[in-house]
Amino acid sequence: MSTDWSPFSYLVTNLARFVRPDEVTFSGVNSSFPMLACLLAKQAYEFDFTYLNVAGGVDPEPPYAPLSSSDPVLTHGSRSIFANEDFYDLCARGGMDLCFLGAAQIDGHGRTNVSCIGDWHHPKVRLPGGGGAAVMLPTARRSCTWRTEHSRRVLVEQLDFVTASGGMHGVVTPISVFVHDGERLRLDSWHPDVTLNEVIERTGFAVDTTHARPTEPPTDREAAALLELDPFGAFERDAAVALR
Amino acid sequence: MTTTGKIGSLAELAAHIGDGDSVALGGSFLHRGPFALVRELVRAGRRDLEIVKQSPGYDIDLLCRAGAVRRARAGIVAMEGNFGLAPWYRRAIESGAVELEEHACATLTAGMRASAFGVPFQPIAGVHGSELATLNKWAELPDPYGSGSTVWVIPPIRPDVAVIHVNEITEQGDARVFGTTHWDRIMTRSAKKVLVVAERVVDAAEFSARPELTLVPHFLVTAAAVVPGGAWPGSCSPGYGIDYDAVSDYLTDDEHSLTAHLDRAPETTRSQPA
Repeated sequence: MSTDWSPFSYLVTNLARFVRPDEVTFSGVNSSFPMLACLLAKQAYEFDFTYLNVAGGVDPEPPYAPLSSSDPVLTHGSRSIFANEDFYDLCARGGMDLCFLGAAQIDGHGRTNVSCIGDWHHPKVRLPGGGGAAVMLPTARRSCTWRTEHSRRVLVEQLDFVTASGGMHGVVTPISVFVHDGERLRLDSWHPDVTLNEVIERTGFAVDTTHARPTEPPTDREAAALLELDPFGAFERDAAVALR
Repeated sequence: MTTTGKIGSLAELAAHIGDGDSVALGGSFLHRGPFALVRELVRAGRRDLEIVKQSPGYDIDLLCRAGAVRRARAGIVAMEGNFGLAPWYRRAIESGAVELEEHACATLTAGMRASAFGVPFQPIAGVHGSELATLNKWAELPDPYGSGSTVWVIPPIRPDVAVIHVNEITEQGDARVFGTTHWDRIMTRSAKKVLVVAERVVDAAEFSARPELTLVPHFLVTAAAVVPGGAWPGSCSPGYGIDYDAVSDYLTDDEHSLTAHLDRAPETTRSQPA
């Protein structure tokens, strides 16, 4: 089966689908996909939710989506500035319902590595580092992450370094959506343009497919909202996401 | 009223930072960073600095590129925007040229809070299950009030200097920013001295009309310089946004591009106030 659902749209749309009514949701630095997802959810879904971002915005109405997900334009229309110490403390005391956090590697428990590839002391690749993860992943009610590459070096049996523990609730890649059931990440759905087998083959940890099904295609409102956020395809070009 | 002037040249401001100092830098990634001062440290040939910041990027990359850094204490390091990793920082860590104390942003803040609050350590939620705790030899303490839970505690982080870039300053050194404060507030309370780079000077009466907008009162500020556009190539809202072309040029990997970049900076192309 072939659809015209681009892997870029698949990522943003499925991240947006983790947003729930009346919750407090946060997107951070280095996080164009979650930023787009939160802005998409505001436009495409009927329900209310509180959108906080790392620029200090509280339910902002930015005139455009900025390339930097911490750009001050993300406070446009905001009636308050909820700055870094404030949103971290909110998360620490259990007030953050959904946090989007980056990850370089993810294991089957939903733990993450954002520190290094190889040995920490002699890294092959030095990655950005701890960031929000080590404090927010264990304290947010739910966290979700995304990877633009679905491969055995990203979804791993064994992390090179455990930067953050506590368990990702959701993981979205260009070809699949994983959801944590309290014990492990389990496959929730897969892109209709790939096979279930391909998802299993390209995942480094054991994939439980018991409740998995093909991902629901984007609704008209989801598609329209994304088009409005990325009218010239700049984000899609920058992200350069491919199915394979 | 205190009338002592705090404002001098950028070079005079940089002279308050010595080789080997621990320097906390305000802002976040490409936004409202004290980048003019960072470039001045490179021009002055500073060495062996310890850079402290939750989310450094361009600043730490430039300092690593110039060989000015001995140690980094940071949460997340990247150029951001659509530029990815910070290449010269990355190489410096991978080669072992620069030592890293890796934090979560909130644990670095906790360390700053410990020194700002005058206590020997600061409890922080989370951290459980992170290898950063063992790596940094952080301690986990039982709740002394008997809940049965444990909490990780972070030792004080007390930089020699905190440098922030602000929108407005008075002659006496009161400083304020528009929009988010990032981590500037706790940084200025945790460091031994505070240096400020400002977009412009305004009359003290404007500050006293809205004192609650002042982020740092003058008595906490050691010295300041006025550099319009000084947060370039980053943003300083609401004045200007990121200069993406300039960041892109900076990232060109040849010796000439660094010199060209420094020469294009606003503090060299515009005349400075005395």
